[in-house]
Amino acid sequence: MFELVDATKRYGPLVALAPLSLTITAGERLALMGPSGSGKTTLLHLLAGVIQPDEGRVAIAGRSTETLRPGRDLARLVGVMAQGFDLVPSLAVVHNVLAGRLGEWGIGRSLLSLVFPRELPLAQAALNRVGVGTKLYERTARLSGGEQQRVALARLLVQQPRAILADEPVSSVDPARAEDLLTLLVEVAAEDGRTLIASMHAVPLALRYFSRVIALRHGHLVFDRATTAVTEADLTALYDLRQEEARDVR
Amino acid sequence: MTSAKASPAPLGGGPPAGHVPIRGRGLLTLLLLGALTWSLTTVPWGEPLVHPGGLTVLGEMLVAALHPTVSAEFLGIALAASWRTVAYATAGVSLAILLAFPAGVLASGVLVRHPVLRALTSGASRALLGVLRAIHELVWALLFVAAIGLSPFAAVLALALPYAGILGRILAEILEDVPPGPLAALRAAGAREWQVLLYGRLPQAFPNMVSYALYRYECGIRSATIMSFVGLGGLGYQIQISLDDLRFREVWTFVYCLVVLVVLVDLWSGVIRRRLLA
Ligand SMILES: Nc1ncnc2c1ncn2[C@@H]1O[C@H](COP(=O)(O)OP(=O)(O)O)[C@@H](O)[C@H]1O
Ligand SMILES: [Mg+2]
Repeated sequence: MFELVDATKRYGPLVALAPLSLTITAGERLALMGPSGSGKTTLLHLLAGVIQPDEGRVAIAGRSTETLRPGRDLARLVGVMAQGFDLVPSLAVVHNVLAGRLGEWGIGRSLLSLVFPRELPLAQAALNRVGVGTKLYERTARLSGGEQQRVALARLLVQQPRAILADEPVSSVDPARAEDLLTLLVEVAAEDGRTLIASMHAVPLALRYFSRVIALRHGHLVFDRATTAVTEADLTALYDLRQEEARDVR
Repeated sequence: MTSAKASPAPLGGGPPAGHVPIRGRGLLTLLLLGALTWSLTTVPWGEPLVHPGGLTVLGEMLVAALHPTVSAEFLGIALAASWRTVAYATAGVSLAILLAFPAGVLASGVLVRHPVLRALTSGASRALLGVLRAIHELVWALLFVAAIGLSPFAAVLALALPYAGILGRILAEILEDVPPGPLAALRAAGAREWQVLLYGRLPQAFPNMVSYALYRYECGIRSATIMSFVGLGGLGYQIQISLDDLRFREVWTFVYCLVVLVVLVDLWSGVIRRRLLA
């Protein structure tokens, strides 16, 4: 599904991602771990095709992201859930969900839908699926953070991409809700054999819900293992690294 | 004026704001202070501020303020004049919004990817909007009265053109400065730039834009009043007629009508604003 060959990303002198090569097969559930600033978001953006590597290459479903301009083709392959959900706050929930169809819609339908929502059953079903079915016509800004997250997921449901990339999907919700949301995310991904890649802060959650873990630090790969093969030593190492990072910040 | 910007960074990151550098600002202040000092020397300080007869007239005016004309017949005239002023302002500002919308969207440059094309379309629209608002509505009124006579169209057009220039420019700026995160998310969902405009930029710009248009409508009422001095009926025209005959009590009736209009518009726009922000 995804292939990175020596993909590198720099911001000025800062190496956000050192040359990284990896292959992600369809249907994998992959967690990205590492302290903040380690390059998780950068890697997700490279995988989503919204930024291009400075060196090396990134391919999605066999096509280089160089040739995959943002638009319908890319939207059919990957769906992104940004760290701040990034919904349009002043729109009704239904329009934020149906925005997942914009890649497929022409000008008439896009305009008309803002007045009389098109493909309403699709939006309703998606919202029911993520548990906020009653909020269809609510202004998005009025929803709680957790509800907005679910709306963002509903948008991905109507977009139907082959892979879902989520940036810290549970970092801003309390632990109980985090489990619910991850369960939902994993179920939704599993339904159509979608690939799921999420950056995660909490180690136990990452181990419980994902099949593979990639750990980064300062843009460098620390380890890349199946969840079952992650050892105490790996975790201690990562844990220590995180302590050190915390001290650096102070 | 802001120059056309390159496409925003993917998923986040805001544009840096442009500022006059500190050193330049000091120089500008010095120049302006110099100009002020010079202008003070041109005032003929020796002459009395108010000519002798003026004081009695001023007294009469103040007394009249407490006794505005309130006969039923006269109130009818005042009401008709108020109505006409509101009608000019409403038609003028509505037309201004219709004109400002396409021009503002073009001027913002958000629909055009190609940098050269964007610079051209955005530059041309900005220039057009600039010309429209550089000329005051009173001057536009004189031009239109000369061209099409004392017709309501002259009043409406004279108001609509400069207001379109102002509203279009503000719309362009609001559209450019919309939070970029939701826009990037829409692009990631497959939206093209005009869909990003429809689903991301316009909805996010809407509350600000409505708020500003309402403020402009209030200004429009005052502009419509002043404009009617050139002979296009309405409150200003009536004030002028009464003033020429030194009928101060009638003048005050019209002035109070104007105050009531502006206060009503202010209250009404307050209600709408609160509803938008709720
Ligand atoms: N657009 C950008 N411009 C400059 N530096 C950036 C940009 N995006 C990320 N970085 C830097 O790259 C590094 C990796 O960032 P990021 O991928 O966001 O890490 P993470 O998501 O793991 O917290 C950080 O040091 C960050 O400051
Ligand atoms: Mg991040």
